Amino acid sequence: MSAVTQTEAPPVQRKRRDSSARRASDLLVLVPFAVVLLAIIFPVLWMVYSALRPVQEIAAGVSWGSLLDNASLDSFSRLFAATNFEQYLVNSIVMCLVGTFATVVVASLAGFALSRYAFRGRGVMFLVLVATQLLPFVVLITPVYLFFSQLGLLNTYPGIVIVYVAMTLPLAVLLMTGFFNSVPRSLDEAARVDGASTLTVLTRVIAPLAWPGIVTVAVTAFIAMWEEFLFAQVFLTDDSLKTVQVGLAGLFGEYGTDWGVVMAASTIAAAPTIILFSFLQRRLVAGVAAGAIKG
Amino acid sequence: MTTHRKSVQAYLLSAPALVIIALLFLFPSIYNVILAFQELSPFQAPSDGTWVGLGNFRYVFSNPEFGSILTNTVFWLTALTVVLRIVFGLALATTLHSPVLQRWKVRGVARTLVLIPWMVPPVVAVASWRWLLDGNSGVLNQTLVGLGVVDSGIPFLAQTSTVWWSVVAIIVWRELPFVVMVLLAGLQSIPTEQYEAASLDGAGRSRSFRSVTIPNLRPVLTVVVLVTVIQTFNNFVYVWLTTGGGPGTFTAVLATELYSTAFFGNRLGAGAAIGLVMTVIMAVFAVLYMRATRSENQA
Repeated sequence: MSAVTQTEAPPVQRKRRDSSARRASDLLVLVPFAVVLLAIIFPVLWMVYSALRPVQEIAAGVSWGSLLDNASLDSFSRLFAATNFEQYLVNSIVMCLVGTFATVVVASLAGFALSRYAFRGRGVMFLVLVATQLLPFVVLITPVYLFFSQLGLLNTYPGIVIVYVAMTLPLAVLLMTGFFNSVPRSLDEAARVDGASTLTVLTRVIAPLAWPGIVTVAVTAFIAMWEEFLFAQVFLTDDSLKTVQVGLAGLFGEYGTDWGVVMAASTIAAAPTIILFSFLQRRLVAGVAAGAIKG
Repeated sequence: MTTHRKSVQAYLLSAPALVIIALLFLFPSIYNVILAFQELSPFQAPSDGTWVGLGNFRYVFSNPEFGSILTNTVFWLTALTVVLRIVFGLALATTLHSPVLQRWKVRGVARTLVLIPWMVPPVVAVASWRWLLDGNSGVLNQTLVGLGVVDSGIPFLAQTSTVWWSVVAIIVWRELPFVVMVLLAGLQSIPTEQYEAASLDGAGRSRSFRSVTIPNLRPVLTVVVLVTVIQTFNNFVYVWLTTGGGPGTFTAVLATELYSTAFFGNRLGAGAAIGLVMTVIMAVFAVLYMRATRSENQA
Protein backbone atom coordinates (compact mmCIF):
# COMPACT_ATOMS: atom_id res chain seq x y z
CA MET A 1 0.00 0.00 0.00
CA SER A 2 2.79 2.46 -0.67
CA ALA A 3 1.79 5.68 -2.32
CA VAL A 4 4.53 8.19 -3.04
CA THR A 5 2.66 11.34 -3.96
CA GLN A 6 5.25 14.00 -3.24
CA THR A 7 6.68 15.64 -6.31
CA GLU A 8 10.42 15.37 -6.12
CA ALA A 9 12.46 18.56 -6.07
CA PRO A 10 15.54 18.66 -8.31
CA PRO A 11 18.26 16.76 -6.45
CA VAL A 12 20.80 19.58 -6.02
CA GLN A 13 18.33 22.02 -4.53
CA ARG A 14 16.90 19.40 -2.27
CA LYS A 15 20.26 18.55 -0.83
CA ARG A 16 20.99 22.14 0.13
CA ARG A 17 17.64 22.72 1.79
CA ASP A 18 18.04 19.46 3.60
CA SER A 19 21.42 20.22 5.06
CA SER A 20 20.54 23.59 6.59
CA ALA A 21 17.17 22.39 7.86
CA ARG A 22 18.86 19.27 9.05
CA ARG A 23 21.52 21.15 10.97
CA ALA A 24 18.85 23.11 12.84
CA SER A 25 16.81 20.03 13.66
CA ASP A 26 19.99 18.18 14.65
CA LEU A 27 20.58 20.78 17.34
CA LEU A 28 17.11 20.05 18.71
CA VAL A 29 18.40 16.55 19.41
CA LEU A 30 22.00 17.33 20.33
CA VAL A 31 21.48 20.14 22.84
CA PRO A 32 18.99 18.37 25.13
CA PHE A 33 21.02 15.18 24.77
CA ALA A 34 24.19 16.99 25.84
CA VAL A 35 22.39 18.30 28.92
CA VAL A 36 21.22 14.78 29.78
CA LEU A 37 24.75 13.40 29.32
CA LEU A 38 26.12 16.09 31.61
CA ALA A 39 23.55 15.14 34.25
CA ILE A 40 24.52 11.48 33.87
CA ILE A 41 28.23 12.04 34.42
CA PHE A 42 27.87 14.82 36.99
CA PRO A 43 27.89 12.61 40.14
CA VAL A 44 31.20 11.06 39.07
CA LEU A 45 32.74 14.43 38.17
CA TRP A 46 31.59 15.84 41.49
CA MET A 47 33.06 12.87 43.33
CA VAL A 48 36.54 13.43 41.88
CA TYR A 49 36.22 17.19 42.27
CA SER A 50 35.20 16.92 45.93
CA ALA A 51 38.05 14.50 46.63
CA LEU A 52 40.48 17.19 45.50
CA ARG A 53 39.08 20.00 47.68
CA PRO A 54 40.81 21.24 50.81
CA VAL A 55 38.94 20.38 53.99
CA GLN A 56 37.61 23.82 54.88
CA GLU A 57 35.95 24.11 51.46
CA ILE A 58 34.14 20.78 51.79
CA ALA A 59 32.62 21.93 55.05
CA ALA A 60 31.66 25.33 53.63
CA GLY A 61 29.99 23.77 50.60
CA VAL A 62 30.16 24.97 47.03
CA SER A 63 31.67 28.30 46.21
CA TRP A 64 31.23 28.61 42.47
CA GLY A 65 33.64 31.54 42.44
CA SER A 66 36.71 29.56 43.48
CA LEU A 67 35.70 26.37 41.74
CA LEU A 68 39.10 25.45 40.37
CA ASP A 69 41.45 27.18 42.82
CA ASN A 70 43.74 25.40 45.23
CA ALA A 71 43.13 21.73 44.52
CA SER A 72 44.79 19.55 47.15
CA LEU A 73 45.41 15.96 48.11
CA ASP A 74 44.40 16.86 51.64
CA SER A 75 41.48 14.42 51.73
CA PHE A 76 43.61 11.54 50.51
CA SER A 77 46.22 12.08 53.22
CA ARG A 78 43.49 12.30 55.86
CA LEU A 79 41.98 9.08 54.51
CA PHE A 80 45.21 7.15 54.88
CA ALA A 81 46.00 8.76 58.22
CA ALA A 82 42.64 8.05 59.81
CA THR A 83 41.84 4.58 58.45
CA ASN A 84 43.53 1.35 57.38
CA PHE A 85 42.59 2.07 53.78
CA GLU A 86 45.98 0.94 52.47
CA GLN A 87 45.33 -2.43 54.16
CA TYR A 88 41.88 -2.62 52.54
CA LEU A 89 43.44 -1.90 49.16
CA VAL A 90 46.00 -4.68 49.58
CA ASN A 91 43.24 -7.07 50.69
CA SER A 92 41.01 -6.26 47.73
CA ILE A 93 43.84 -6.49 45.21
CA VAL A 94 45.07 -9.86 46.54
CA MET A 95 41.57 -11.36 46.83
CA CYS A 96 40.49 -10.18 43.39
CA LEU A 97 43.71 -11.25 41.63
CA VAL A 98 43.76 -14.71 43.20
CA GLY A 99 40.03 -15.10 42.63
CA THR A 100 40.26 -13.95 39.02
CA PHE A 101 43.11 -16.36 38.32
CA ALA A 102 41.15 -19.27 39.83
CA THR A 103 37.98 -18.34 37.94
CA VAL A 104 39.84 -18.15 34.63
CA VAL A 105 41.52 -21.54 35.15
CA VAL A 106 38.39 -23.37 36.33
CA ALA A 107 36.20 -21.72 33.69
CA SER A 108 38.68 -22.56 30.90
CA LEU A 109 38.65 -26.24 31.81
CA ALA A 110 34.85 -26.40 31.97
CA GLY A 111 34.46 -24.22 28.88
CA PHE A 112 36.82 -26.49 26.99
CA ALA A 113 34.74 -29.53 27.96
CA LEU A 114 31.48 -27.86 26.93
CA SER A 115 32.96 -26.58 23.70
CA ARG A 116 34.78 -29.71 22.50
CA TYR A 117 33.07 -32.75 24.00
CA ALA A 118 29.65 -34.25 23.47
CA PHE A 119 28.96 -35.89 26.83
CA ARG A 120 25.89 -36.98 28.72
CA GLY A 121 24.65 -34.20 30.97
CA ARG A 122 26.01 -31.38 28.83
CA GLY A 123 22.54 -29.85 28.39
CA VAL A 124 21.83 -30.09 32.12
CA MET A 125 25.14 -28.38 32.83
CA PHE A 126 24.21 -25.43 30.60
CA LEU A 127 20.85 -25.22 32.35
CA VAL A 128 22.53 -25.20 35.78
CA LEU A 129 24.93 -22.46 34.68
CA VAL A 130 22.08 -20.24 33.49
CA ALA A 131 19.87 -21.01 36.51
CA THR A 132 22.57 -20.20 39.09
CA GLN A 133 22.87 -16.72 37.64
CA LEU A 134 19.30 -16.05 38.72
CA LEU A 135 19.83 -17.27 42.30
CA PRO A 136 19.79 -14.26 44.60
CA PHE A 137 22.92 -13.93 46.71
CA VAL A 138 21.09 -12.37 49.60
CA VAL A 139 19.08 -15.60 49.95
CA LEU A 140 22.22 -17.76 49.86
CA ILE A 141 24.11 -15.76 52.44
CA THR A 142 22.52 -17.33 55.52
CA PRO A 143 23.21 -20.99 54.63
CA VAL A 144 26.66 -20.23 53.19
CA TYR A 145 27.52 -18.31 56.36
CA LEU A 146 26.69 -21.39 58.46
CA PHE A 147 28.69 -23.73 56.20
CA PHE A 148 31.68 -21.42 56.33
CA SER A 149 31.53 -20.98 60.08
CA GLN A 150 31.59 -24.78 60.38
CA LEU A 151 34.56 -25.06 58.05
CA GLY A 152 36.40 -22.20 59.76
CA LEU A 153 36.42 -20.16 56.55
CA LEU A 154 34.92 -16.96 57.97
CA ASN A 155 37.46 -14.16 58.26
CA THR A 156 39.94 -15.89 55.96
CA TYR A 157 41.33 -15.03 52.55
CA PRO A 158 40.53 -18.51 51.11
CA GLY A 159 36.91 -18.23 52.30
CA ILE A 160 36.13 -15.03 50.45
CA VAL A 161 38.11 -16.15 47.39
CA ILE A 162 35.99 -19.33 47.15
CA VAL A 163 32.82 -17.20 47.35
CA TYR A 164 34.12 -14.85 44.66
CA VAL A 165 35.11 -17.69 42.33
CA ALA A 166 31.67 -19.27 42.75
CA MET A 167 29.98 -15.92 42.19
CA THR A 168 31.74 -15.27 38.87
CA LEU A 169 32.03 -18.85 37.62
CA PRO A 170 28.66 -19.48 35.90
CA LEU A 171 28.95 -16.49 33.57
CA ALA A 172 32.67 -17.11 33.05
CA VAL A 173 32.05 -20.71 31.91
CA LEU A 174 29.30 -19.62 29.51
CA LEU A 175 31.45 -16.86 28.03
CA MET A 176 34.49 -19.11 27.76
CA THR A 177 32.49 -21.81 25.97
CA GLY A 178 31.40 -19.24 23.41
CA PHE A 179 34.97 -17.99 22.87
CA PHE A 180 36.35 -21.53 22.48
CA ASN A 181 33.58 -22.35 20.01
CA SER A 182 34.94 -19.66 17.72
CA VAL A 183 38.35 -21.40 17.53
CA PRO A 184 38.29 -23.90 14.63
CA ARG A 185 38.30 -27.53 15.76
CA SER A 186 40.58 -28.56 12.93
CA LEU A 187 43.42 -26.95 14.87
CA ASP A 188 43.09 -29.13 17.95
CA GLU A 189 42.60 -32.20 15.80
CA ALA A 190 45.83 -31.41 13.98
CA ALA A 191 47.62 -30.97 17.29
CA ARG A 192 46.23 -34.26 18.59
CA VAL A 193 47.46 -36.05 15.48
CA ASP A 194 50.90 -34.71 16.40
CA GLY A 195 50.48 -36.38 19.79
CA ALA A 196 49.53 -33.38 21.96
CA SER A 197 47.68 -34.10 25.21
CA THR A 198 44.37 -32.48 26.12
CA LEU A 199 45.97 -29.88 28.38
CA THR A 200 48.59 -29.09 25.74
CA VAL A 201 45.84 -28.49 23.20
CA LEU A 202 44.08 -26.17 25.62
CA THR A 203 47.14 -24.18 26.73
CA ARG A 204 49.21 -24.16 23.53
CA VAL A 205 46.64 -24.21 20.73
CA ILE A 206 43.33 -22.82 21.91
CA ALA A 207 44.31 -20.34 24.64
CA PRO A 208 46.64 -18.30 22.39
CA LEU A 209 43.83 -17.91 19.84
CA ALA A 210 41.08 -17.26 22.37
CA TRP A 211 43.13 -14.89 24.55
CA PRO A 212 40.97 -11.81 23.86
CA GLY A 213 38.04 -13.80 25.20
CA ILE A 214 40.04 -14.99 28.19
CA VAL A 215 41.01 -11.39 28.98
CA THR A 216 37.33 -10.39 28.75
CA VAL A 217 36.38 -13.14 31.20
CA ALA A 218 39.19 -12.15 33.56
CA VAL A 219 38.25 -8.47 33.53
CA THR A 220 34.53 -9.17 33.99
CA ALA A 221 35.32 -11.43 36.95
CA PHE A 222 37.78 -8.97 38.49
CA ILE A 223 35.27 -6.11 38.29
CA ALA A 224 32.50 -8.22 39.84
CA MET A 225 34.79 -9.25 42.72
CA TRP A 226 36.10 -5.73 43.24
CA GLU A 227 32.56 -4.31 43.48
CA GLU A 228 31.14 -7.02 45.75
CA PHE A 229 29.85 -5.76 49.08
CA LEU A 230 27.40 -8.13 50.81
CA PHE A 231 29.61 -11.20 51.31
CA ALA A 232 32.67 -9.13 52.18
CA GLN A 233 30.61 -7.27 54.79
CA VAL A 234 29.22 -10.42 56.42
CA PHE A 235 32.21 -12.77 56.10
CA LEU A 236 35.11 -10.44 56.88
CA THR A 237 34.60 -8.79 60.24
CA ASP A 238 38.28 -8.32 61.15
CA ASP A 239 39.42 -4.85 60.25
CA SER A 240 42.68 -6.27 58.89
CA LEU A 241 40.74 -8.29 56.28
CA LYS A 242 38.21 -5.72 55.08
CA THR A 243 37.90 -4.92 51.40
CA VAL A 244 37.90 -1.48 49.81
CA GLN A 245 34.11 -1.43 49.35
CA VAL A 246 33.42 -2.44 52.97
CA GLY A 247 36.00 0.04 54.23
CA LEU A 248 34.38 2.77 52.14
CA ALA A 249 30.88 1.87 53.35
CA GLY A 250 32.13 2.23 56.92
CA LEU A 251 33.18 5.83 56.30
CA PHE A 252 29.76 7.35 55.71
CA GLY A 253 26.42 7.15 57.41
CA GLU A 254 26.91 8.66 60.83
CA TYR A 255 26.47 12.33 61.62
CA GLY A 256 29.56 14.33 60.96
CA THR A 257 30.69 12.31 57.96
CA ASP A 258 33.92 13.72 56.51
CA TRP A 259 32.74 13.88 52.91
CA GLY A 260 36.13 14.89 51.57
CA VAL A 261 37.59 11.65 52.91
CA VAL A 262 34.60 9.64 51.64
CA MET A 263 35.00 11.07 48.14
CA ALA A 264 38.75 10.38 48.19
CA ALA A 265 38.04 6.77 49.16
CA SER A 266 35.28 6.58 46.53
CA THR A 267 37.63 7.82 43.84
CA ILE A 268 40.18 5.14 44.76
CA ALA A 269 37.45 2.47 44.95
CA ALA A 270 36.09 3.42 41.51
CA ALA A 271 39.41 3.91 39.70
CA PRO A 272 40.15 0.24 38.86
CA THR A 273 36.66 -0.48 37.53
CA ILE A 274 36.54 2.71 35.47
CA ILE A 275 40.00 2.05 34.00
CA LEU A 276 39.31 -1.62 33.22
CA PHE A 277 35.90 -0.82 31.81
CA SER A 278 37.17 1.91 29.51
CA PHE A 279 39.98 -0.36 28.43
CA LEU A 280 37.63 -3.13 27.32
CA GLN A 281 34.42 -1.19 26.87
CA ARG A 282 33.50 -2.33 23.40
CA ARG A 283 34.02 -6.00 24.04
CA LEU A 284 32.40 -6.04 27.49
CA VAL A 285 29.33 -4.25 26.23
CA ALA A 286 29.01 -6.53 23.24
CA GLY A 287 29.34 -9.56 25.50
CA VAL A 288 26.81 -8.40 28.08
CA ALA A 289 24.32 -7.24 25.47
CA ALA A 290 24.64 -10.44 23.46
CA GLY A 291 24.21 -12.48 26.61
CA ALA A 292 21.04 -10.64 27.53
CA ILE A 293 19.59 -10.85 24.04
CA LYS A 294 20.31 -14.55 23.60
CA GLY A 295 19.15 -14.84 27.22
CA MET B 1 36.19 -47.19 24.18
CA THR B 2 37.55 -43.89 22.94
CA THR B 3 34.17 -42.19 23.27
CA HIS B 4 33.95 -43.48 26.82
CA ARG B 5 37.40 -42.13 27.56
CA LYS B 6 36.41 -38.81 26.03
CA SER B 7 33.35 -38.55 28.30
CA VAL B 8 35.48 -39.26 31.35
CA GLN B 9 37.84 -36.51 30.25
CA ALA B 10 34.95 -34.08 29.83
CA TYR B 11 33.72 -34.85 33.35
CA LEU B 12 37.20 -34.38 34.76
CA LEU B 13 37.53 -31.02 33.02
CA SER B 14 34.13 -29.86 34.30
CA ALA B 15 34.58 -31.28 37.80
CA PRO B 16 36.19 -28.27 39.50
CA ALA B 17 33.49 -25.90 38.21
CA LEU B 18 30.68 -28.29 39.12
CA VAL B 19 32.04 -28.89 42.63
CA ILE B 20 32.32 -25.16 43.34
CA ILE B 21 28.82 -24.47 41.98
CA ALA B 22 27.36 -27.37 43.96
CA LEU B 23 29.02 -26.22 47.20
CA LEU B 24 28.08 -22.57 46.88
CA PHE B 25 24.73 -22.68 45.07
CA LEU B 26 23.02 -26.07 45.14
CA PHE B 27 23.69 -27.26 48.70
CA PRO B 28 23.02 -23.85 50.28
CA SER B 29 19.74 -23.56 48.32
CA ILE B 30 18.61 -26.92 49.66
CA TYR B 31 19.86 -26.18 53.17
CA ASN B 32 18.07 -22.83 53.13
CA VAL B 33 14.75 -24.67 52.82
CA ILE B 34 15.60 -26.87 55.84
CA LEU B 35 16.84 -23.87 57.83
CA ALA B 36 13.58 -22.00 57.23
CA PHE B 37 11.84 -24.52 59.52
CA GLN B 38 14.48 -24.35 62.26
CA GLU B 39 15.54 -22.03 65.04
CA LEU B 40 19.26 -21.21 64.98
CA SER B 41 21.59 -18.32 65.84
CA PRO B 42 24.78 -17.40 63.98
CA PHE B 43 26.79 -18.64 66.97
CA GLN B 44 25.45 -22.22 66.81
CA ALA B 45 26.37 -25.16 64.60
CA PRO B 46 23.85 -26.32 61.98
CA SER B 47 23.36 -29.51 64.03
CA ASP B 48 22.04 -27.42 66.95
CA GLY B 49 19.01 -26.30 64.95
CA THR B 50 15.69 -27.03 66.63
CA TRP B 51 12.63 -27.73 64.48
CA VAL B 52 9.97 -25.08 64.85
CA GLY B 53 7.58 -26.07 62.06
CA LEU B 54 6.01 -22.97 60.54
CA GLY B 55 7.12 -20.82 63.48
CA ASN B 56 9.55 -18.74 61.42
CA PHE B 57 6.90 -18.00 58.80
CA ARG B 58 4.41 -17.04 61.50
CA TYR B 59 7.05 -14.74 62.98
CA VAL B 60 7.76 -13.13 59.60
CA PHE B 61 4.13 -12.67 58.52
CA SER B 62 2.96 -11.48 61.96
CA ASN B 63 5.38 -8.55 61.76
CA PRO B 64 3.00 -5.56 61.51
CA GLU B 65 5.40 -3.97 59.03
CA PHE B 66 5.50 -6.94 56.65
CA GLY B 67 2.86 -5.40 54.37
CA SER B 68 4.79 -2.17 53.93
CA ILE B 69 8.07 -4.09 53.44
CA LEU B 70 6.39 -6.04 50.64
CA THR B 71 4.92 -2.89 49.07
CA ASN B 72 8.30 -1.16 49.28
CA THR B 73 10.02 -4.09 47.58
CA VAL B 74 7.45 -4.66 44.86
CA PHE B 75 6.52 -1.08 44.03
CA TRP B 76 9.28 1.36 45.00
CA LEU B 77 12.35 -0.80 44.68
CA THR B 78 11.37 -2.97 41.72
CA ALA B 79 8.39 -1.87 39.58
CA LEU B 80 9.07 1.85 39.63
CA THR B 81 12.81 1.61 38.95
CA VAL B 82 12.33 -0.98 36.18
CA VAL B 83 9.67 1.11 34.42
CA LEU B 84 11.82 4.23 34.66
CA ARG B 85 14.84 2.33 33.34
CA ILE B 86 12.87 1.02 30.38
CA VAL B 87 11.43 4.46 29.52
CA PHE B 88 14.73 6.36 29.88
CA GLY B 89 16.61 3.43 28.38
CA LEU B 90 14.47 3.49 25.23
CA ALA B 91 14.89 7.26 24.94
CA LEU B 92 18.66 7.13 25.35
CA ALA B 93 19.13 4.08 23.13
CA THR B 94 17.11 5.57 20.27
CA THR B 95 19.06 8.84 20.59
CA LEU B 96 22.38 6.98 20.56
CA HIS B 97 21.19 5.02 17.55
CA SER B 98 19.95 8.05 15.63
CA PRO B 99 21.84 9.17 12.51
CA VAL B 100 22.20 12.64 14.05
CA LEU B 101 24.99 11.53 16.39
CA GLN B 102 26.74 9.75 13.57
CA ARG B 103 26.59 12.84 11.37
CA TRP B 104 28.31 14.87 14.09
CA LYS B 105 30.78 12.06 14.82
CA VAL B 106 29.89 11.95 18.51
CA ARG B 107 28.27 8.54 18.81
CA GLY B 108 31.29 6.83 20.36
CA VAL B 109 31.88 9.58 22.92
CA ALA B 110 28.20 9.71 23.84
CA ARG B 111 28.07 5.97 24.31
CA THR B 112 31.06 6.03 26.66
CA LEU B 113 29.53 8.84 28.71
CA VAL B 114 26.22 7.00 29.02
CA LEU B 115 28.15 3.98 30.32
CA ILE B 116 29.99 5.84 33.07
CA PRO B 117 27.54 5.19 35.94
CA TRP B 118 27.85 1.48 35.22
CA MET B 119 31.64 1.67 35.61
CA VAL B 120 31.24 2.87 39.18
CA PRO B 121 30.88 0.24 41.95
CA PRO B 122 27.45 0.34 43.66
CA VAL B 123 28.94 1.35 47.02
CA VAL B 124 30.69 4.29 45.34
CA ALA B 125 27.46 5.23 43.56
CA VAL B 126 25.65 5.40 46.89
CA ALA B 127 28.48 7.36 48.54
CA SER B 128 28.57 9.93 45.72
CA TRP B 129 24.82 10.40 45.72
CA ARG B 130 24.63 10.71 49.49
CA TRP B 131 27.16 13.51 49.20
CA LEU B 132 25.21 15.17 46.37
CA LEU B 133 21.98 14.93 48.38
CA ASP B 134 23.52 15.94 51.73
CA GLY B 135 21.12 18.15 53.66
CA ASN B 136 23.64 20.86 54.55
CA SER B 137 26.62 21.03 52.23
CA GLY B 138 25.43 18.81 49.37
CA VAL B 139 25.73 20.45 45.97
CA LEU B 140 22.03 19.98 45.17
CA ASN B 141 20.85 21.79 48.29
CA GLN B 142 23.58 24.43 47.96
CA THR B 143 22.32 25.15 44.45
CA LEU B 144 18.65 25.18 45.45
CA VAL B 145 19.33 27.53 48.34
CA GLY B 146 21.61 29.67 46.18
CA LEU B 147 18.90 30.05 43.54
CA GLY B 148 16.37 30.89 46.24
CA VAL B 149 14.19 27.87 45.48
CA VAL B 150 14.22 26.80 49.13
CA ASP B 151 15.23 28.65 52.29
CA SER B 152 17.21 25.83 53.85
CA GLY B 153 18.53 22.48 52.67
CA ILE B 154 16.10 19.60 52.15
CA PRO B 155 17.12 16.50 54.18
CA PHE B 156 16.40 14.19 51.24
CA LEU B 157 17.26 10.92 52.99
CA ALA B 158 15.84 11.82 56.39
CA GLN B 159 12.24 12.63 55.49
CA THR B 160 9.61 10.20 54.25
CA SER B 161 8.36 12.45 51.43
CA THR B 162 11.68 12.40 49.55
CA VAL B 163 13.58 9.34 50.73
CA TRP B 164 12.15 6.78 48.30
CA TRP B 165 12.56 9.09 45.34
CA SER B 166 16.21 9.52 46.31
CA VAL B 167 16.77 5.76 46.47
CA VAL B 168 14.94 5.33 43.14
CA ALA B 169 17.15 8.02 41.57
CA ILE B 170 20.33 6.25 42.71
CA ILE B 171 19.20 2.86 41.41
CA VAL B 172 18.00 4.22 38.07
CA TRP B 173 21.20 6.24 37.62
CA ARG B 174 23.53 3.31 38.31
CA GLU B 175 21.55 0.58 36.52
CA LEU B 176 20.33 2.51 33.46
CA PRO B 177 23.42 1.93 31.24
CA PHE B 178 22.90 -1.83 31.21
CA VAL B 179 19.38 -1.36 29.83
CA VAL B 180 20.57 1.24 27.32
CA MET B 181 23.31 -1.04 25.98
CA VAL B 182 21.04 -4.06 25.60
CA LEU B 183 18.34 -2.00 23.87
CA LEU B 184 20.96 -0.35 21.65
CA ALA B 185 22.20 -3.80 20.58
CA GLY B 186 18.57 -4.66 19.85
CA LEU B 187 18.06 -1.50 17.79
CA GLN B 188 21.21 -2.18 15.80
CA SER B 189 19.92 -5.59 14.81
CA ILE B 190 16.71 -4.22 13.22
CA PRO B 191 17.04 -4.36 9.42
CA THR B 192 16.97 -0.84 7.93
CA GLU B 193 14.77 -2.13 5.09
CA GLN B 194 11.87 -2.24 7.53
CA TYR B 195 12.23 1.47 8.26
CA GLU B 196 12.55 2.25 4.57
CA ALA B 197 9.41 0.27 3.83
CA ALA B 198 7.56 2.08 6.61
CA SER B 199 8.55 5.51 5.36
CA LEU B 200 7.55 4.55 1.82
CA ASP B 201 4.16 3.71 3.27
CA GLY B 202 4.07 7.25 4.60
CA ALA B 203 4.79 6.43 8.24
CA GLY B 204 6.18 9.32 10.23
CA ARG B 205 8.78 9.04 12.95
CA SER B 206 6.39 8.15 15.77
CA ARG B 207 4.46 5.73 13.58
CA SER B 208 7.55 3.81 12.55
CA PHE B 209 8.69 3.76 16.19
CA ARG B 210 5.37 2.15 17.10
CA SER B 211 5.13 -0.20 14.15
CA VAL B 212 8.77 -1.12 13.48
CA THR B 213 10.94 -0.41 16.54
CA ILE B 214 8.73 -1.66 19.35
CA PRO B 215 7.62 -4.94 17.70
CA ASN B 216 11.24 -5.72 16.81
CA LEU B 217 12.47 -4.88 20.31
CA ARG B 218 9.76 -6.89 22.03
CA PRO B 219 11.83 -10.08 22.55
CA VAL B 220 14.77 -8.05 23.91
CA LEU B 221 12.50 -5.97 26.14
CA THR B 222 10.92 -9.16 27.47
CA VAL B 223 14.30 -10.51 28.57
CA VAL B 224 15.55 -7.19 29.95
CA VAL B 225 12.45 -6.71 32.09
CA LEU B 226 12.71 -10.25 33.47
CA VAL B 227 16.41 -9.96 34.31
CA THR B 228 16.19 -6.48 35.85
CA VAL B 229 13.10 -7.35 37.89
CA ILE B 230 14.79 -10.42 39.39
CA GLN B 231 18.03 -8.59 40.12
CA THR B 232 16.38 -5.53 41.63
CA PHE B 233 13.81 -7.40 43.70
CA ASN B 234 16.67 -9.21 45.44
CA ASN B 235 18.95 -6.21 45.69
CA PHE B 236 20.34 -5.42 49.09
CA VAL B 237 23.12 -2.90 48.69
CA TYR B 238 21.31 0.20 47.44
CA VAL B 239 18.66 0.47 50.14
CA TRP B 240 20.99 -0.76 52.86
CA LEU B 241 23.73 1.76 52.25
CA THR B 242 21.50 4.68 51.28
CA THR B 243 19.02 4.58 54.14
CA GLY B 244 19.69 1.42 56.17
CA GLY B 245 15.94 0.88 55.75
CA GLY B 246 15.20 4.19 57.48
CA PRO B 247 14.00 6.69 58.50
CA GLY B 248 12.83 4.17 61.12
CA THR B 249 11.79 1.24 58.94
CA PHE B 250 10.18 3.40 56.26
CA THR B 251 12.31 2.10 53.37
CA ALA B 252 12.86 -1.47 54.60
CA VAL B 253 12.72 -4.06 51.78
CA LEU B 254 12.78 -7.87 51.86
CA ALA B 255 16.53 -8.12 51.30
CA THR B 256 17.41 -5.68 54.09
CA GLU B 257 14.83 -7.34 56.37
CA LEU B 258 16.46 -10.74 55.72
CA TYR B 259 19.88 -9.33 56.58
CA SER B 260 18.71 -7.57 59.74
CA THR B 261 16.71 -10.58 60.94
CA ALA B 262 19.57 -13.04 60.37
CA PHE B 263 22.59 -11.01 61.46
CA PHE B 264 21.26 -8.39 63.86
CA GLY B 265 18.29 -10.28 65.26
CA ASN B 266 20.41 -13.47 65.28
CA ARG B 267 17.49 -15.48 63.86
CA LEU B 268 19.00 -17.37 60.94
CA GLY B 269 15.88 -19.52 60.59
CA ALA B 270 13.60 -16.52 60.19
CA GLY B 271 16.12 -15.02 57.75
CA ALA B 272 16.03 -18.23 55.73
CA ALA B 273 12.22 -18.10 55.79
CA ILE B 274 12.28 -14.59 54.32
CA GLY B 275 14.71 -15.85 51.68
CA LEU B 276 12.33 -18.68 50.83
CA VAL B 277 9.41 -16.25 50.55
CA MET B 278 11.50 -14.08 48.21
CA THR B 279 12.43 -17.08 46.06
CA VAL B 280 8.81 -18.22 45.81
CA ILE B 281 7.59 -14.72 44.88
CA MET B 282 10.22 -14.46 42.14
CA ALA B 283 9.56 -17.98 40.84
CA VAL B 284 5.81 -17.29 40.63
CA PHE B 285 6.49 -13.96 38.94
CA ALA B 286 8.86 -15.55 36.42
CA VAL B 287 6.34 -18.27 35.50
CA LEU B 288 3.40 -15.88 35.14
CA TYR B 289 5.54 -13.37 33.28
CA MET B 290 6.82 -15.90 30.77
CA ARG B 291 3.29 -17.17 30.21
CA ALA B 292 1.96 -13.67 29.66
CA THR B 293 4.76 -12.60 27.35
CA ARG B 294 4.66 -15.83 25.37
CA SER B 295 0.98 -15.40 24.50
CA GLU B 296 1.61 -11.73 23.77
CA ASN B 297 4.58 -12.50 21.55
CA GLN B 298 2.53 -15.04 19.65
CA ALA B 299 -0.49 -12.77 19.28
